[in-house]
Amino acid sequence: MDFGYTAEQETFRQDVRAFIAENVNQSLLDEMESGEEGGRGPEYRALVKKVADLGWIGISWPKEYGGQSGSRLDQYIVEEEFMRLGIGVGGAGSGAPAILAAGTEEQKEQFIPGMIRGEVIFALGFTEPQAGADLAGLQCRAVRDGDDFVINGQKMYTSAAHYATHIYMMCRTDPDAPRHRGISIFLIPMDTPGITVRPLWTIQSDPPAPPGTTYGMARTNETFFENVRVPASCMLGEENTGWYVGAMGLNLDRVGASRYLISVRRDEDIVNWVKENDFGGHSPAEDPAVRDKLAELWTEAQVCRLMTMRSMSLVERGGTFTYEGSAEKVWAPEHGVHTTEAISQMLGPYAQLLNGSEEAVEDGLFAHNLMGSFQSGINHGSVQIMRDQMARRGLGMPRG
Amino acid sequence: MDILPSEEEQMLKNGAREFLEAEISTAMVREMELDGLGYPPALWKQMADLGWLGLALPEAYGGQELPLTYLGLVLEEVGRVMAPVPLHSTSVAALTIASDGTEQQKQDMLPAVCSGDMILTWAVYERDPRLIPEAMKLQATADGDGWVLNGTKMFVDNSVVAQRCLVATRTSPKSDANEGISLFIVDPNGTGVSQTALVTLAKDKQSRLDFKDARIERAALIGEVDQGWPIVERMLDRATALLCCQMVGATRKDAEMAIEYAKNRVAFGRPIGSFQSVQHLLADMILHVDGGMMLTYEALWKMDQGLPASVEVSQAKSFCNEKCESVVRHSQVVHGGIGFMMEFDLHLWFRRVTAWTMRLGTTYDHRARIAAALLDVPGKVRLGMPLPTAV
Repeated sequence: MDFGYTAEQETFRQDVRAFIAENVNQSLLDEMESGEEGGRGPEYRALVKKVADLGWIGISWPKEYGGQSGSRLDQYIVEEEFMRLGIGVGGAGSGAPAILAAGTEEQKEQFIPGMIRGEVIFALGFTEPQAGADLAGLQCRAVRDGDDFVINGQKMYTSAAHYATHIYMMCRTDPDAPRHRGISIFLIPMDTPGITVRPLWTIQSDPPAPPGTTYGMARTNETFFENVRVPASCMLGEENTGWYVGAMGLNLDRVGASRYLISVRRDEDIVNWVKENDFGGHSPAEDPAVRDKLAELWTEAQVCRLMTMRSMSLVERGGTFTYEGSAEKVWAPEHGVHTTEAISQMLGPYAQLLNGSEEAVEDGLFAHNLMGSFQSGINHGSVQIMRDQMARRGLGMPRG
Repeated sequence: MDILPSEEEQMLKNGAREFLEAEISTAMVREMELDGLGYPPALWKQMADLGWLGLALPEAYGGQELPLTYLGLVLEEVGRVMAPVPLHSTSVAALTIASDGTEQQKQDMLPAVCSGDMILTWAVYERDPRLIPEAMKLQATADGDGWVLNGTKMFVDNSVVAQRCLVATRTSPKSDANEGISLFIVDPNGTGVSQTALVTLAKDKQSRLDFKDARIERAALIGEVDQGWPIVERMLDRATALLCCQMVGATRKDAEMAIEYAKNRVAFGRPIGSFQSVQHLLADMILHVDGGMMLTYEALWKMDQGLPASVEVSQAKSFCNEKCESVVRHSQVVHGGIGFMMEFDLHLWFRRVTAWTMRLGTTYDHRARIAAALLDVPGKVRLGMPLPTAV
């Protein structure tokens, strides 16, 4: 057991921090906050290019596709330092693990270097109006027609669809097969004729959430596919194995700094806030009940960190998850909710003040977080589904 | 950074499990609950022969000088089978002798501990059960070349069978720097000390020790007069982390029993483990025991690195107190009525884990310590980084 970083890793972390101090400025953060192009405007793209030039994106991905064939933990360090500013670079959550695992040589060459340079951005097209928690019930059809497939259907909550270059989507390719065995994954350019993106505005859209809010996105989308014709070479992995390719990719993508930091940043924020601020001369930090709660939450947050490190350790060893990825996806989101709800009781009526209000605490961050933190337990597999998986795959419980 | 056990650590753990599961049955656990000594001497000797009694003690005195994490792994297995042996109390006291004792004290005690010829314990609790300097009232008064002890110690483990006990005493009034505490080595069965057995939930051997003009020699002092509190604190931190190992081991076994039971027990025409209400209980049990385990080993690892670990110890214990308790209670729920019948073994784990949540710092005690470190020292906090320290 080794719970520490090496001297080289500590130095590397300092290098990343120094780069951030030098290159991440207010105008970039303002651009990201403005939400135009999904926060990925010219300044953001210039930053990604710089980080990519340093070889810091996809450090653990193979050299032949633009990565460094390096350590997943080094990649994690980059992800963590940037994610603390709400900037998602480094590689996690990109969809790359599934492409690296199941893609053809052409697909890897086509996508991975572009993802590293920020030129390829995927929207995720899994959920449908009638297939959320029960994803295997998806109905979006892809029908073979010669060397092509023709896609018809609808995808929900395709959050990046309005700025993504591609969509990574699951379609039904064999309606007669058992549900899980008739699904395939396609990697499709968003500018393919027949794709329509319609915005869905979230509860964070009015007023907009301040930067750093957990699930502070104002916009997601629904995406319609009407006779969308794509070549069969767009398929990722074997036909009708998409369920398994997707599940594996989700597990690997779940690992990393993003989920962890989404769930614990408010712990740091509230402790630092009560240490330095008060309401009319009284700080919540003086209240014994608040102190007890903060210590409890801080401890829970450590477990978030340790679960993330356990997953990292497993990945570094080349092991496979039985329940560890799902466990992380239960503990971290629920912790985020515990903290957010506790903060509202610590700040009392101030915690209801939204972004832009007079007297708002930290631009309404904690109020907006109340609308965002619970989403983490719903998106990408709810905590209930995750507990099902833990019990069945991890503990061998029979199906109901 | 690789927080999973190394191959060597896993081998040690597996070896400990193999031995302990072969040697210790629940019948023996029940028998020892009624036994005067509370442990089987032959088994203790076997454990000495395996090198476990000196696992983390210096080689120069017969130990193996392995990290505390290794001792933790063995204690996790001890907890798993609820081994009725005084390993925890002996280790806690012996580690303090090794780190803070005089050369003579080490020579007198550590080889005897390693060979299984000396059982040790420690006595810090008093009637005010807070483990803080203010609660230390047992008076040690200088008298000639030694001291005279008067007062009471509570909740002392295994004192009936221990040859030596480390006793925290008051030698001067409390100062702001927590001076005034001295730590002594005392024979708990010697003149001037009377023992009264306590009847506990875990049915272990705890006693109240009443000291009435108990005389001790100068050589019995550990460290400097009045400067004993930091030594006591380090001893309590190690004791707490090692107790967490036992809690985690016992709790995981308890959870595994619920998992097995849920697979096999049929109700409404199918195994109860196929019901989501039960599945989700079981998933939470694993989350909780894993969380306690990771917090515990991080605390031990930090101690092994010589890093400050008090906050990590408090994180581990406050979490284990609540979550291990929750796990063993959930296990009772999954088992239903049979779970609380005397003839069924489950309660053996339930009673011990529950009792251990009350020892070595309550949830509130430990959270107060975490809160002080988080809130009362200026400077920003950041998860995964050491907390700011007072200048």
